[in-house]
Amino acid sequence: MSESNVVQIMAPVTVVGDIHGQFFDMLEIFKIAGYCPDTNYLFLGDYVDRGLFSVETISLLVCLKLRWPSRVYLIRGNHESRGVTQSYGFYTECSRKYGNANVWRHFTDMFDFLTLSVVINNDIFCVHGGLSPSIHSIDQIKVIDRFREIPHEGPMADLVWSDPDPDRDEFSLSPRGAGYTFGAQVVKKFLEVNNQSHILRAHQLCQEGYQLLFDGLLSTVWSAPNYCYRCGNLASVLEVDYHGPLYYNVFEAAPENSEHRDAAAQQQDTGAVVEYFL
Amino acid sequence: MSRSPPLQAAPNIDVGKSVTRGDWKVTTHKRPILNSTEIEAMTTTLGIAPPEMIFGNNSVEVSNEKLNWSISFNALEALELVDKSGESMLKVAYSEAWQKMRERVHEDIKEVVKPYDWTYTTNYQGTVHNTNRPFQQTGSEIPFDKLKRPDPILLFDDVMLYEDELADNGISILSVKIRVMPERLLILQRFFMRLDGVLFRLRDTRLFIEFGTGEVIRQYQAREDTYANVRNGLCIHAPEQIPSLLRDDSFIAERLPVVELERERVLLG
Repeated sequence: MSESNVVQIMAPVTVVGDIHGQFFDMLEIFKIAGYCPDTNYLFLGDYVDRGLFSVETISLLVCLKLRWPSRVYLIRGNHESRGVTQSYGFYTECSRKYGNANVWRHFTDMFDFLTLSVVINNDIFCVHGGLSPSIHSIDQIKVIDRFREIPHEGPMADLVWSDPDPDRDEFSLSPRGAGYTFGAQVVKKFLEVNNQSHILRAHQLCQEGYQLLFDGLLSTVWSAPNYCYRCGNLASVLEVDYHGPLYYNVFEAAPENSEHRDAAAQQQDTGAVVEYFL
Repeated sequence: MSRSPPLQAAPNIDVGKSVTRGDWKVTTHKRPILNSTEIEAMTTTLGIAPPEMIFGNNSVEVSNEKLNWSISFNALEALELVDKSGESMLKVAYSEAWQKMRERVHEDIKEVVKPYDWTYTTNYQGTVHNTNRPFQQTGSEIPFDKLKRPDPILLFDDVMLYEDELADNGISILSVKIRVMPERLLILQRFFMRLDGVLFRLRDTRLFIEFGTGEVIRQYQAREDTYANVRNGLCIHAPEQIPSLLRDDSFIAERLPVVELERERVLLG
């Protein structure tokens, strides 16, 4: 709650991308990259929605944060919002598991307190989505009033929503009629102005589990393997050492998921169950 | 800065199925979403960015070697029919407010990423191989009474072709269901789109094959209604149920009026 909108932390730290309620795959991360508090963690947001276990996922993360507040950091993603969680599953999961929406209400109230960005070693800028045309200097993030629902427009929206576009140089408007993409010159200028060497973000699915863009100046980390239990993609966490280079620790879906496959199929219609459709 | 091993693609495991009935062969392929190299290639071919979950290596195919006829359903050919002119382009619900707000702050940003139908709406009805036996318009309906019988299902599959969350403004999904019984088969390819606050859209292609006679009937049905109309019709339901109902394509399908209907038939036998 008292965290700044830009939290400064030091390596070593393991950075985790989107999880989306894939609780057993998150447990796999702790097995692979180490348990708290022996390993420090930075989570880049999108803890809930889509997967079957958003409640379990966010509950464990909040407990870890409360137990080791200076070893676990949670950034807000675009799914940590009242509006989005009503459309993509967290609201429905809470209503089903608890019989009413109170738990959803308390969690989404809590989301308003999550920080927006983290800087590792004064050198690596971490955010859920990307850059904003309203933010030139990292200091400008500090003055955002973040204790609110994520708005549709403005710098707070851009930080959780925008995507890089490797084929362009500047900011461009999305064809959807809202939102930006940011290009190569934007990234270079932002790093230069703020004396940073790298931008680290999540937000976009990649089949290989991570993706480097703009000659390695920006990376996307994705931590939900076999996303939605059907994408067949890999996932990764990014291990940042104090002196060493970045290491992408790639992993596959946890074996426990198969036990829940039928439940997933029934709930999400993924087809393990034979059906007399017409 | 990175000391990671070179980028490795996910293992290319195919969990598709196959069954043969007489001269008819049915095959499904279910593989991982495209990797970054494959996405680049598809982007070049299409001229637009593919949907965020792109199952470009998935397909459903029905073939008859003796009759030299086949039909297949795949993502690339479905996406080739998406409008790339920007003419039928929808805007998200809060677009106007967003534009007004941003114009005051960032007048300098004018470049729009090439306009195209980012909802990936398609009227794709499968790709037919063998032009010697073209489909003809018909009044004949798919014999649903035969399909309602609890005949044993020799093969059932549900194959995703693509899905996109429209940047948190709803969902677009194209998938193909197939069930093969001893004497016939049914395919349902469904495109379902919900643009929050704006529109619901459904494009169903049903393909029926009677193995014994070689009769093939294809029915294409488009349904559409405004978001407000559908939402207003749901007020009899408990508020906690509404979000999941709005995601349920079968539930929504029955509530959307038909805007286009075509039936075609070909006798191959």
